Amino acid sequence: MSKSLLIISRQAPWAGPSAREALDIALAGGAFDLPIGMLFLDDGVLQLAPAQRPGALQQKDLGANLQALPLFGVESLYASARSLQERGLAGQPRTPAAEVLDDAALTALIDRYDQVITL
Amino acid sequence: MATLHVLSHSPFSDSRLSSCLRLLGPGDGLLLSGDAVYALQPGTAQRQALDLMPAGIALFALAEDLSARGLDASPRAQAVDYPEFVELSCRFAKVNSWL
Amino acid sequence: MKFAIALFSPPHAPSSRRALRFAQATLAGGHEIVRLFFYQDAVHSASSSLVSAQDELDLPGEWRDFVREQRLDAVVCIAAALRRGVLNEQEAQRYGRAAASLNAPWELSGLGQLHEAAQLADRLVCFGGP
Repeated sequence: MSKSLLIISRQAPWAGPSAREALDIALAGGAFDLPIGMLFLDDGVLQLAPAQRPGALQQKDLGANLQALPLFGVESLYASARSLQERGLAGQPRTPAAEVLDDAALTALIDRYDQVITL
Repeated sequence: MATLHVLSHSPFSDSRLSSCLRLLGPGDGLLLSGDAVYALQPGTAQRQALDLMPAGIALFALAEDLSARGLDASPRAQAVDYPEFVELSCRFAKVNSWL
Repeated sequence: MKFAIALFSPPHAPSSRRALRFAQATLAGGHEIVRLFFYQDAVHSASSSLVSAQDELDLPGEWRDFVREQRLDAVVCIAAALRRGVLNEQEAQRYGRAAASLNAPWELSGLGQLHEAAQLADRLVCFGGP
């Protein structure tokens, strides 16, 4: 049985390559049919904010790749309730849709995975 | 499955320590390395937060980083060298480094 | 135990030296390193173009010697390497770049190698940041 991997993405979408590279790890894992989960924590939740226009910064559309996650078999997407709240995103629509978890649920989530990478 | 969390950022200029503290589960461990050992600096809110962690959470600090910065791990934290760091990574089910 | 060790930070970051010391300690402790995987800025540690000052730690050199002496599987992520200008001979020719900076014992490959290593290993340990 394959080991499960949780990728915790903590960086804002346009803070450098980190958000993109975390996503690439997730997509690669999905492509190999591995059990992958992705958690957006701290500034990572900003990747889920609506109405982003990456073209204004001549950046690729991270959102499009995030939406591709389920297509690659990565359907377990999570976001920290606290992080969303702190950044004024609590009530907003999120793209892609991620399950919102409080701190206790996040502790339990991390506990369930065999391995973790926090970027 | 207990996790060993590893930090290396200064707790004063970075939010990783506070985020990590919120996600620690019972039986988890926390290893401070690099500038994260500054969280043991006496008289700081960070040191206080570490002292207030439940006793079930094991706290470690990399000895070379403590030594370089003139800090003392005890009594709450245990100073570890690299062989002990390796041992910890075996003892805990997984290692989560907050990069 | 079997370890997969992934490094995300450049050679001047203290975490890069920590990763090397940890890797050395795993072997000294009788464990096995399934693979070293260099991602993000860690690709610079595989560059043969890097010149360390005489009185400074030559971390890329130490990594290279460690990999050679222990005959480790040391992979550098090709996508991360290309966008940071760390190219082997083949890629330098492919993209018409003046110089290759990545040689043996380093291999360029994809993220699949990170995942494979994580699956093979008992422990995945990542190093990065400061």
